Amino acid sequence: MIFKSGRQNTIWAKIFLFFCFFISWPRAAWALQTHPAPEGLFAHMLAHLFFIATLAIFTYWLQTTGLSRERGWRLIQISCLMFILWNLDTFAVHWIEHTLTREMLITTGLDWAQRLSMTGGWRSWVYYFGKFDHLLCVPAMLLLLFGLRDLYRQAGNKGLPQHE
Amino acid sequence: MSSSLPLFPVWLVDMLGSAMMIIISFVCVRYAQLLRRTDKDNVIWTYLLWLSLALALFSVSRSVGHIAKRLLLLAGHSDIWVELRPFSGSINSLTFVIVGSITLFFQRVHRINVQILSDKRAIEKASEELKWLNRNLEEMVRQRTAELSKSEAKYRRIFEGSMDIIMVFDLEGRFLDINQAGLNILGYTSKDELLSKATFADLIVPPPNPRQLMEEVAVAGFYKDLECRVQNREGETLTWLLSLTVSRKTDGEIGGFESIAKDITHRKKMEQQLLQADRLASLGELSAGVAHEVNNPLGMILGYTQLLLRNEPENTQDFQDLKIIEKHARNCKTIVEDLLKFARNAETKKGVLQVNDLVREVISVVEHQFTLDNVTIETKLDNSIPALCADGEKLKQVFMNLLMNARQAMTGQGRINIGTDYHSSRNQVNVTVADSGSGIPPKILEKIFDPFFTTKPTGEGTGLGLSVSYGIIKEHHGEINVQSTPGKGSTFIISFPLTLDEQEHCY
Repeated sequence: MIFKSGRQNTIWAKIFLFFCFFISWPRAAWALQTHPAPEGLFAHMLAHLFFIATLAIFTYWLQTTGLSRERGWRLIQISCLMFILWNLDTFAVHWIEHTLTREMLITTGLDWAQRLSMTGGWRSWVYYFGKFDHLLCVPAMLLLLFGLRDLYRQAGNKGLPQHE
Repeated sequence: MSSSLPLFPVWLVDMLGSAMMIIISFVCVRYAQLLRRTDKDNVIWTYLLWLSLALALFSVSRSVGHIAKRLLLLAGHSDIWVELRPFSGSINSLTFVIVGSITLFFQRVHRINVQILSDKRAIEKASEELKWLNRNLEEMVRQRTAELSKSEAKYRRIFEGSMDIIMVFDLEGRFLDINQAGLNILGYTSKDELLSKATFADLIVPPPNPRQLMEEVAVAGFYKDLECRVQNREGETLTWLLSLTVSRKTDGEIGGFESIAKDITHRKKMEQQLLQADRLASLGELSAGVAHEVNNPLGMILGYTQLLLRNEPENTQDFQDLKIIEKHARNCKTIVEDLLKFARNAETKKGVLQVNDLVREVISVVEHQFTLDNVTIETKLDNSIPALCADGEKLKQVFMNLLMNARQAMTGQGRINIGTDYHSSRNQVNVTVADSGSGIPPKILEKIFDPFFTTKPTGEGTGLGLSVSYGIIKEHHGEINVQSTPGKGSTFIISFPLTLDEQEHCY
């Protein structure tokens, strides 16, 4: 009982035929988008940017709430700044990595013996030293540890937390 | 080779750094746990634990990826690494986002913590106060109750012991409380009797209008020293000096009225008596002057009239005319003599006498006639009263005047009570003459002792009877007072002081 009258039947029949014609058009399907290789790197780099932004906000809040006046929180705040630097470093390395060609990696035998060709100019230098990113993130994590330890000792001494 | 750098240091730092990241991140988690254990309710510590856990996850995902990559490449399984790489990178990206997301919650968590700490402090403070109150409440209540009782007793003593009248009314003027002095003066025996019946409006005899007065007090807040008339339970009119103040509730609204009143009835009466005495004294002086001036020519007229009468035959017209002149001259002389008595200029012969004897003598003279007129005389004579030093004839005239006035106040039958008594505390003798006649209207009450004031028709009375009585009593240093209720009768109270000087004068 979809079609009720002759005039209405004609209209619904036209719509139905147009829809059939549209879905049977011989072209690639529009509903699905493919995700080739660079998107993963870009998503990772965007995650770094997001991490930078949140750490910057956290650092700002620690400053505005006055918590940074206490040693423990100040160490955590510096840890955040170090993590921001680490993020910037890794972001730069990822970016340069994206632009470097495979020929710049010189492999001689074992993987340990690989060398980096410095033909990329400043990008090669930034890439090489940027790869030492643990020199930033390990101190950042240590500062976090010291900050937490300080807060713990302080809380233990005071009996009750005083942070507001 | 000269334009290339070895990657071995990079990988070495990468491996060691990754391992350190894992270790340090787990130590961080441990410290965060310890920190949280110091106060499990502190959301900031919970937040730091979550942040540490997220960073540990981040460290593990990242470092495991780096180490696995190196190891797989070293072992020649680059194909496996190619398979694992996308997962490692994705998980690493996710951990960034998780750490970042947790970081963004900091401000909200901090606000919650501030609020919780603030509430906690408030609750702790309230708890401390409650504990303190719990410990000390009983003692405080006991102390306050004692203070309140003491204060209440003090003010109750003032309230109940006051000789002035203290009253409390509600907005409608209904009695809420009254002290004992007020009850006594108003003639009530119990508070409940008054509180259930009377109102302020019932009490006040207008003017002023009691309702209007209360409205004025409500507007002004108080009314000071208002002289007003008040009617007691027996219907007697009293004079009070009244002060009214509004009493307000805690919200400032008028809750009722409080009043303090002084009964000045006696003082007012004394003032009126004093005024009357002054007026009568002035009248007495005037009367004495006039009497003296009129007395001599009157004596001449009477003397010459009597001389002419001696030589005139009795049946002549001239004799009759002279007789009329003589009669009226004698009347005038009597009036003049009465005036002199009122002015206390008449000669007095004082002697020792018993008032009761004088009263009996006067009664014996009038009793027969009074009985015929259906007027009974009842006596209540106190035989213990001491002898008086007085002019007996003049006192008999006073009693006679009072009895005649009492008789004339009655239409038809009636009763007259005569009583004598002795007040040892005041050392005075009282004589009371009460009748059941028509009474004296309040308007003329203060004029009854004035010379020539009479309510009788012209020709029936000179209006000198009470004036003369007043003069005689004053001559004996006594007092005469009258209480009268229209329609019920009047009572004359005469009091004679027994002063030592008077007694010595007689003996």
